[in-house]
Amino acid sequence: MIGTTTRTALRAGIPLWLLVFIALIVLPVLSEPFRSANNANSLMASLAPLLLVSAGQAVVVLLGGIDLSVGGIVGLGTVLVATPAVPGWVAAVLALAVGVAAGLVNGLGVLAGVPALVMTLGMSGVLGGIGLLVLAEPGGQVSRGLLAVLTLQAYPVPLAFVVAVAALAVAWTAVSWTRWGRVVLATGHDPVAARRTGLPWRSATLRAYALSGLFSGMAGLAVVARTYSGDSLSGGSLILDSITVVLIAGIALTGGQGSVLTVLPAAAVLGLLQNLIVLSGLDSYYQYIVEAVVLVIAVALYEASGKRPAFLARGG
Amino acid sequence: MTELSTVGPPLARPKLDRSLLFGYALAVVCFLVLGVSTPDGFAPDRLLGILGSNAALGIVAIGQTLVLLCRGLDMSVGFTMNLAAVVLSATMAGQDANTPAALGLALAAGALVGLVNGLIVVWLRLPPLLATLAVGTAVQGGYYVLTKGQPKGAIAPGFREFADGGAFGGTLRWGFLVWLAVWLLAAVLLYRTVPGRRFIVVGANPRLAFLAGVGVRRHTVAAYVASGLTAAIGGVYLTAFAGSASLTAGASYTLASVAAAVIGGVALTGGIGSPTGTFAGVLVLVFLQTILTTWDVPAPVQQATQGAVLIVMMLVTLRFVRRGRSDR
Repeated sequence: MIGTTTRTALRAGIPLWLLVFIALIVLPVLSEPFRSANNANSLMASLAPLLLVSAGQAVVVLLGGIDLSVGGIVGLGTVLVATPAVPGWVAAVLALAVGVAAGLVNGLGVLAGVPALVMTLGMSGVLGGIGLLVLAEPGGQVSRGLLAVLTLQAYPVPLAFVVAVAALAVAWTAVSWTRWGRVVLATGHDPVAARRTGLPWRSATLRAYALSGLFSGMAGLAVVARTYSGDSLSGGSLILDSITVVLIAGIALTGGQGSVLTVLPAAAVLGLLQNLIVLSGLDSYYQYIVEAVVLVIAVALYEASGKRPAFLARGG
Repeated sequence: MTELSTVGPPLARPKLDRSLLFGYALAVVCFLVLGVSTPDGFAPDRLLGILGSNAALGIVAIGQTLVLLCRGLDMSVGFTMNLAAVVLSATMAGQDANTPAALGLALAAGALVGLVNGLIVVWLRLPPLLATLAVGTAVQGGYYVLTKGQPKGAIAPGFREFADGGAFGGTLRWGFLVWLAVWLLAAVLLYRTVPGRRFIVVGANPRLAFLAGVGVRRHTVAAYVASGLTAAIGGVYLTAFAGSASLTAGASYTLASVAAAVIGGVALTGGIGSPTGTFAGVLVLVFLQTILTTWDVPAPVQQATQGAVLIVMMLVTLRFVRRGRSDR
């Protein structure tokens, strides 16, 4: 029944894969600017943070939780890296460590009985505050050596994109084939049963939130690789982005159902849309509107296809 | 006290909610700390001024409470506040004569956002978190596209004075009075009228409400509309207070309004809590913020404190106040 490699879980992704493949064949033919290597490069660079955050979010959602602190972790990560006071390498490690720590605290709070929604919302306030304290205005200075590593690329493929896809693959494999992954799915599927059967759901919860934190920290570095600066608020849009991707990927917000792998085409759909808006010369603020519409359409499509996961329960 | 109607014994008003007591106890503690933190700290003028300048949060939190009571969550309040500010400023265009029309349009915009929220939650059955976050983001995109990042128009001087003025020679700020009025209206509606009692049933037990013939969807949508409306009122007052519209000023109010409700004992699972509890939650947050400001604590730390207070209060409520009553 449950599993992220079973046919039912993967089948939900087939239309998405098709959509992405068709788009990748049709769009270059139709659009001159889309064809350029530069655009492919920027598309992949912009997908990297989205993929990382969404993969982490997917694992937490499969567990039956939700992580609203991803934006705060990303923002604080960029701020730490852009603070001249801390040497580049230390800052990068610090950004990842902060991500893991925030994730662990999230997990502990959830285990203590605080609803995931409140826990991670509060955490995002705390992290956002710390980020603004360290760097009040967007900007800062990223050390040259670190920036050189972060922006490494085999043109037009940025390193950050490769790392993001690899991280997603790791998360998928871990959820699908490790004991931890089975416990995550079981807990998401039926928390009471998981507890009563004595599964190690506590450690699984901690690790799931820590993973989401780690991926968000990595996403912070991927954002710096694009913006070359720190901004405590830079992760804000990734909260809704990541939940939208998870939803498009057909992962049930009630937990236990769906495949982490499908996050890849789902994120690609969102990334392509944002890319098209930029290329079409429209005001970039239209992204906000388009994204909300896509979200609603995705839900309506799932509803129409009758494969709609049980969304009714709140996502907290 | 005579009830206009009774809906049923299980829904009788709780005698004295422990979480309500806890919320007010905490508010009193914050009040005392605030009073001793500065010389002349207990001066009524100063305290009423603090309440007046923070009335926006009080008003917005009441709408948030109504939504939480019916198992929802409104993550769009901050964006709705900004939308109201933008609409107000654009239609007012600095003319006192335009004030009534501008006010009407701003409030209508807020109610419309709430209506869309409610309809999406009810018809598409998206989780409230997601629906309101999506609508809020779309609203944000809308006002950014329309204003190109710079609010149009201006606030009329007469309306600007409204924020500083008040009854009794300005002691009781108009904002504080509006806050009290909204709270009173919500409390009386919820506890003294039949529709209000129905509303509580919908949050406490939607299945039971449905079986009893109460329109669950109607009441849920109404809660979101109310929240959109209060967010617009809050945004309007904030704009009057600041003297100009802002595209970002409302952002922090989403977290703060949820925090105020949680501190006041409102459960995210619906049906538990009251606007009166939220009132205490707002007092706690406002006093705390003023204390931190008097101690020269920078604004970002205050935001961090708000997040931490939200988490800690939830823990405390779960462990000590609502012991034995499952909140999950």
